[in-house]
Parts: sequence; structure tokens; C-alpha cells
Amino acid sequence: MRYALQRFTQFLIVFFLVTFGVMVFMRIGLNKPGDPARTMLGGTVSQDLIDTTTRRFHLDSNYLVQYWYWLKGMLTLDFGYSNPNNLNVTTYLKPRVLTTVFLGLYSIFFALLVAVPVAVYQAYKRDRPFDKLSSFATFFFISVPAVVLAPLLKYIFIDWLAWFPRLSSKVYPWDNPMLHIKNFFVPVLVLTIPLAATWIRLLRADMVQTLQSDFITLASAKGVPPSRVLWGHALRNSVFSLVTSVGFQLGGLVGGALIVEAYFNMKGMGSLLVVAILSSDLFTVQSVSAILVACVVLVNLGVDLSYALIDPRIRHARALS
Amino acid sequence: MTNVIQAANRDVNGPLLELTDVKTHFRTRRGLVRAVDGVSLTLERGKALGIVGESGSGKTILSRSIMGLLPTKGTERHGSIRFEQQEIGNLGRKQMRHIWGKEMAMIFQDPMTSLNPLMKIGKQIAEPLRIHLGMDKATAWATAERLLQDVRIPEGARRLHQYPHELSGGMRQRVMIAIAMACGPTMLFADEPTTALDVTVQAQILDLLNDQRKDRNMSLILVTHDLGVVAGHTDEIAVMYGGKLVEKAPTRALFADMKMPYTEALMQSIPKIDDPSHTRLMAIGGRPPDLVNPPQGCRFAPRCLYTRDKCLTEEPPLVATDNPEHTYACWYPVGSPEYHESKARLSETPVTIGRLD
Ligand code: SF4
Repeated sequence: MRYALQRFTQFLIVFFLVTFGVMVFMRIGLNKPGDPARTMLGGTVSQDLIDTTTRRFHLDSNYLVQYWYWLKGMLTLDFGYSNPNNLNVTTYLKPRVLTTVFLGLYSIFFALLVAVPVAVYQAYKRDRPFDKLSSFATFFFISVPAVVLAPLLKYIFIDWLAWFPRLSSKVYPWDNPMLHIKNFFVPVLVLTIPLAATWIRLLRADMVQTLQSDFITLASAKGVPPSRVLWGHALRNSVFSLVTSVGFQLGGLVGGALIVEAYFNMKGMGSLLVVAILSSDLFTVQSVSAILVACVVLVNLGVDLSYALIDPRIRHARALS
Repeated sequence: MTNVIQAANRDVNGPLLELTDVKTHFRTRRGLVRAVDGVSLTLERGKALGIVGESGSGKTILSRSIMGLLPTKGTERHGSIRFEQQEIGNLGRKQMRHIWGKEMAMIFQDPMTSLNPLMKIGKQIAEPLRIHLGMDKATAWATAERLLQDVRIPEGARRLHQYPHELSGGMRQRVMIAIAMACGPTMLFADEPTTALDVTVQAQILDLLNDQRKDRNMSLILVTHDLGVVAGHTDEIAVMYGGKLVEKAPTRALFADMKMPYTEALMQSIPKIDDPSHTRLMAIGGRPPDLVNPPQGCRFAPRCLYTRDKCLTEEPPLVATDNPEHTYACWYPVGSPEYHESKARLSETPVTIGRLD
């Protein structure tokens, strides 16, 4: 309990520090009154509009006060205002977040779905043909960069086989599940393949090591069938690096899908952040980075908690601390 | 009690285990490693056999060969292993699985690494009960608690819900014994069961093993490098060197009248209680033979203090002493005229090899 509290405090501190830092960073060089509003609005705008904007977002107060107002807005899901999009940030952020979340979660889910059984079976059939062949395949797919994989798969599935629509537009599963799947299939595949390949290698290596442990031999010597030795004894003892890596990928979702977002014209958070930084879109940058930081820190917390869930030794050590 | 029923059903005629010319060879890049190279022995029901040798003598590989626990890839198995009058030497892991944990069980050397760190003690003991005896969870856990009582772990009910790291080394070894005893096996292998434990705990564990063996009319194979361990706890001792059996005798006979110079050397490496402290122990000089290219003749010759020309060219066969149960493989055994002659010569020139400083 104390441990969880401690972690939560850490989480808050990191979150505040980073978001505040981003805010300050975005305002560097904008010292004259009205500068922030002018930059935000871009182009030539009336002094009137600058004044209203400045007042509305307290852009003339000191950073702490500005930060406070922004934070308060965040809590009520009011992320501020973005001029280049001439919209409330909240409104246009929502589909962006959803697109990125779908992309990320689907690819992580499918990558795990493939990686775990393949790695377990590889470790079980170590150095046999299946292991050797699939190890070569994973090595190959790790080495292929997304900028090659994306056009290749697009050509195969969209242009040549024509299984999926040419241009993706946002479709939610609750509107049209079939179209949603078709939309996401190829981009998710581009993300899934290298992820799955990485995780297969990671888990295989740990499984091979675990399978050499004495307690695995003992499990066999008890008459436990191989499937239970693998899934019941060995896997759980081998997932620590995998869990860490999954967490890392979850946290890095936003940036990770940048190439795919760009290539398949999917409007996600990665592309949004790039555009927002380039156009000094203050509130968008702040909001997106806030979401990013929250993701990374929360995922880390999740990884930590799952360690404790998996391993009683960690649980007990923490309970004592 | 399941144990009683099983014991009654057991065929009481004939030996429990019969090995004939068992060979276990591993294919490696360097060549064929002859880890076990033609071992024959029999073990009666309820008896305890000690297999003694240095590391690399093949004693562990032999016990694992009998259980069929070795990896199938790159392993060659020859000879016959009969268990309960049934040939098991050629069985695959699939068939052996029904024997493992049920008829034959094994206790490993290091209790720190031999239990699954992420699984409750109770579940680890209950596992074979559920698999082999088809018990439901509640019955299996209740039986597990009784097993903990059998191996003298207090507060069993609480211990069942603990994880291995919450138990001391001695406790964990007891848990391992409980796991091995769970389905009432007829044959138990204990591979250096006390090496990783404190001296004070060692004796307790050995006594516990012995009591369990007697209570359950189970046979025990105790594998160790330490003649001292097997001395009080076995009926028979088999000494292994370089993958071969070099001497086998009832425990009492062996200690009274050992024949093989290697056995003698092992004996001299046991600390004796009445030795003045800081007595230098004899260590056996040299290294165990290369099992890819074992020496011609007697495999112990390069390290033996009594080697003669014949030893280097001709391999000594296993022969019996006056006692047909006492066999050994040596041309010039302890007590022979040549032995005494060599011994006399040795005492004139100071021994420079083989002293442990
Ligand atoms: S046969 Fe020769 S070398 Fe081998 S143990 Fe006997 S005396 Fe030593």
C-alpha cells in the first residue's frame, strides 16, 4: 500500500514537471505582452482578437497562474484552443486520440497474440526446424524498417489484392465495424509485424533460459505434461522482459505510429504533435504532450504493478519496504 | 491411504530395478562423450543404494538415464533398464511421464532453484497428486498438508500458502521430499540432496529420507560425491569412475574391505571426527578422465598411486571377492602383494602430488 502511494506521488511529480516544462519551453522568446496570443493565432490578426485571446487564456499572467488555469481546464476535459484548426482542442483531439489508441492497442494485442505462442513453441522445439525457420523470419522482420514495410504491404493488400479501401477515413467500430476493421487492417499489420518479431525473440530467449532451470526439470520429473510445464511453469517465469517491452511500446504509442499515420493518411497523435510544434500551436502541444506523459508514466506504473502481480518475491519485498 | 494400497499391489518378487550394460553417450562437437559406459546393477525393493563418485564420474547422468530425464536430442541410450519387471530403457518422455512422479521420483541438489519461485508450495505438492491420482483440488491440498506433516514441517496449513522464498533451504528440501513422496513412488532418486545445505540440516534430511524409505518400502538411490553421506544411510554402495562402475559392495563390506584404489582415495578425502583438527585431507590429484577419449586400460591409471604397465594397456574387468556381492575392477587391488609393494615404495619417496593445502 505504501509502495503504491509512493509510486502515485512519483507519477504526479513527473507529470507536473514535464507538462510545466513543456509550457515554459513553448513560450521561450515570447516576452512582449500579447506575443503568445499572436504566435498562437498566427498571421495578421486584429489587436482586438489578440487581447481577447490573451485575457481568455490568462496569457499575460505568470507561468504558474497560466499553468494552473490550463490544469484546471484539463481536469474538466477542456484542453484549450487551437487556432490553426480554429477549434476547441478537445473537439479535434478526440478522434486523433482514438485513432492512435486503436492503432496502438490493436497492434500490441495482435503482436502478443502471435508472439507468445510462437516463442513458447520455439523454445520447446529449440534448434529444431520450426525454431530455426521462424527465428530466421523474426530476424528478417526486425530488420525491415517501417518505411519499407508500409509501402510494401500497402501495395500488396490495397493496390494489388484490393482487399481494403484505398484511403482510410475515420470510422469507429460502433458505427461500422466491418469498415473499421478494413480501415485499420493494413496499418495495424505494418505495426504488428516488427513488434511481434521483436517480442518473439525476446520471449524465446527468456523461455529457453527458464526451460533449463532446475524447477522445470523437477516439474517434468513430477509427471507434469509438457504443455503445462510450458504454460503453467515456464511462461510466467519468462515474461518479465516482455512485460517491460510491452509497457515501453504502450508508452511510446504516440510517436511510434508516426510513419504509419503519415503513410496511410491516418490522423493520429503523432502527426498532430509534429504539425502543432511547427505551427506554435501552444495548447495543442501542451495537451498532446500531457497525454503522452500521462501514458508513459501510467504504463510504467502498470508495468511495476504487473511485476508484483507476477512475482511474489517482488510483492513481499515491497510490502516490507 | 493410497500408499498402503499401492504397496500391497506391488509385485514383491524379483528386483525392483535391473540395469544391464547401460550406456549413455552424448553427441557433441568434440565427439562422443561416453558419460555412462556400460553399467550393470540390480536394486532390491526397499533397499538404499549409494552411487558415489566425483563430478564427471557419470553418477548423475546414470540416475537421470534410469529416469529417462535426459534431453532426447544428441543422446544415445544403450543397454537395458528393467523397472518392475518392465523394460523402460527405450521408453520416450511421453510414456515415462506416467512413471515420473508416480513410480519414480527425484530430489534435486539445490532446493533454492528446484522449486518454482512463482507457485505456492501447496500447488507444487498438489500437482502430481492431481495429475497421477486424479484428486480434486481440495483433496490434493489436504493430502499436501499431511505430506508436509510427514516431512516434519510444522504449521503445514500455513506453509501451503507460502512461496519458496519464504522458506529456509532445509525447509525447501523437505518440501521437495514431500513432492517426491506425494504419489507414493517405489523408487526415489536423491541427487546430492544435502550438498547445498548446512551441516546441521544435512543429517536431518538424510534421516528423513531413510525414515520415509522404510515407512513406504521404497527403494532409494542416493547419488553423492561424499562417501560420508552414504555411509550410514545405504545398504549398498556403487562407486563410479569415468562412466563405469569400479566397485560395488554392501556398505559394511565396502568400508571394512575396499578394493579399488579410487575408493580408497575417496575414503581418505572424508574428514574423520577423531582426526586432530587441521589434519590435511588427501585430495585425489589430477582430473577425471576425458570421456571423449578415455584412457586405454584402467581409466583411473593416470591418477592411481599403484599403476603398473598392465593397468595402462588392459582394462580390468569387474570381479568378485570372496563375497559374491562385493565386486571391483582393478588389477592390483588394495591388499594385494603388488599394492603393498607399491605402498612401501611410496612411503620412501615423499608424496608430492595429491596433497590438499
Ligand atoms: S587397475 Fe591399476 S591403475 Fe587401475 S586402479 Fe587398479 S592399480 Fe590403479
